[in-house]
Amino acid sequence: MNSKNLILVKLLLILWMGILFLPNAFAVPSYSRQTGLACGSCHYSPPELNPFGRKFKLEGYTFATKAEVKDDKKDHNASLSLLESFPLSAIFDASFTSTKSPQPTTQNGNFEFPQAASLFLAGRWGDHVGSFLQVTYDSQSDHFSWDNTDIRYANTNGHMFGKSLTYGALLNNNPTVEDLWNSTPAWGYPFVSSNVAPSPTAAAIINGSVAQDVAGFGGYTMWNDHLYLAGSLYRSEHIGGSQPNPGTGFGLNIRGVAPYWRLAWQTSSENGNLEIGTYGMHMKTSPNAITGIEDGYTDWAVDFQYDRALPQLKNDVLSFRGTYIRENSSLAASFAEGAAAVVDHHLNTIQGNVEYHFGTRLSGTAGYFNVTGTADPLLFAQTQITGSANGSPGSNGYLLNLSYWPQQNIDLAVQYTGYMKFNGGRSNYDGAGRNASANDSTYLLIRFVF
Amino acid sequence: MHRIALSRTPIVFIGLAMLLAPCSLGAQSDGGKVFKANCSLCHSEDGSGNSPTGKALKAKDLRSQEVQKQTDAELADIIANGRGKMPSFKSKFSPDVVKSLVAYIRELPKK
Repeated sequence: MNSKNLILVKLLLILWMGILFLPNAFAVPSYSRQTGLACGSCHYSPPELNPFGRKFKLEGYTFATKAEVKDDKKDHNASLSLLESFPLSAIFDASFTSTKSPQPTTQNGNFEFPQAASLFLAGRWGDHVGSFLQVTYDSQSDHFSWDNTDIRYANTNGHMFGKSLTYGALLNNNPTVEDLWNSTPAWGYPFVSSNVAPSPTAAAIINGSVAQDVAGFGGYTMWNDHLYLAGSLYRSEHIGGSQPNPGTGFGLNIRGVAPYWRLAWQTSSENGNLEIGTYGMHMKTSPNAITGIEDGYTDWAVDFQYDRALPQLKNDVLSFRGTYIRENSSLAASFAEGAAAVVDHHLNTIQGNVEYHFGTRLSGTAGYFNVTGTADPLLFAQTQITGSANGSPGSNGYLLNLSYWPQQNIDLAVQYTGYMKFNGGRSNYDGAGRNASANDSTYLLIRFVF
Repeated sequence: MHRIALSRTPIVFIGLAMLLAPCSLGAQSDGGKVFKANCSLCHSEDGSGNSPTGKALKAKDLRSQEVQKQTDAELADIIANGRGKMPSFKSKFSPDVVKSLVAYIRELPKK
């Protein structure tokens, strides 16, 4: 492999591994228009789902109280159930980001107007089919691109062992986007984030690395309002890439199919909702190719979420969430191409946060994250800002967020991210004299949702 | 670990299809069907509200004396116009559908 290709492979690896903190979580007003319910009926704070929001998603986004164009199924004629209002929504984000130290040769203190703008087709498509479908304009790339998508069929009429059974089929483009809780990556904390500040390079496959770069089909079921089971099979689907997929230019090309699984158990009391679960993914892939030697990844994860309503405080809600992801990888292809120094790697990711919801008007969140794993001077090469001087993927730090909602569809957020370690080091982590704390960032956001 | 090849995909999809297959579907009245599709999300299938959603919203137990003592007109008014956290259904349900729902709610304590 020549040096040009090697650099390309490394850049691709950095790109797909650096999506740890994507701001990809939203609440959608067209659901509100469809149900006649305020945002706070489904969310503690958008996008965090409360039990009603989870049920609404579980049942395929189909619950509606508003007028529909309807035709009953008769004889050999099919039925029709169509919302009179087209389920379109939009989000507009403007932001400001400042890092503790400027990124070399660049200006610090960046306004983005907009940072991003999204359009959603989100709502009921029929009796049993609904969607969360998002396209997003990103100011840095200056174009719209396909974003998180979850189209599902749901049936609520099942029974098993005398208990209720909701089941359905899924089409989506991001493992865990189908999930009902906010402890898994697609809808996990932070719910908003800067796209200017540097973020750690290493991320597990299931932790956003293949988001919007795959297409998956699967199924799910919830038994007795307690036991949730979901599974999907994914193939690479590179937005903007040619079809059939030649593999070139992409760091991850799934060979065969990549299975994703999810098992969760929930229970509730008058004021509490608890979920504990496990999820994971297995993937064989080849960098920049569709044949030849493969890299293999297996992610195993556990998660929990506990939401506690506080009746003595006007039913404010205190939320605790956490996940641990263990990734074992065998990077034979990367090793053969000179992009990895050793074949066998592992990556441990811990993310946890606690949030207090002051009604639906204010929420404050404190989060901690820690990534450790196999050091590899080729995989995590020395590069200014985004690289690692010692080849370690280790990063840890904290994330503080305060969100104020003057209306349920307007979010004013201030966020501070602090790093104790960044890409393997506390000081001079990139070999170019930059310290981890130089990437500490302050982020201000205003979001309009309508 | 062996690669999961495309040739095995049909087996996995059959498994998913089995997962999706309903185990039993009970026959229901019109009111029952409407209730199941629109009301059980909060009030549970049996009307008890004893689900995570019902508990969180503190949904009324429709079988309770508190609910059952209300007149048909009062229940119909709540369904049509909503109350508290419950949304209005008047643009979705015709008066006849509301009537069938009230009748179904009357049946819930006997189930």
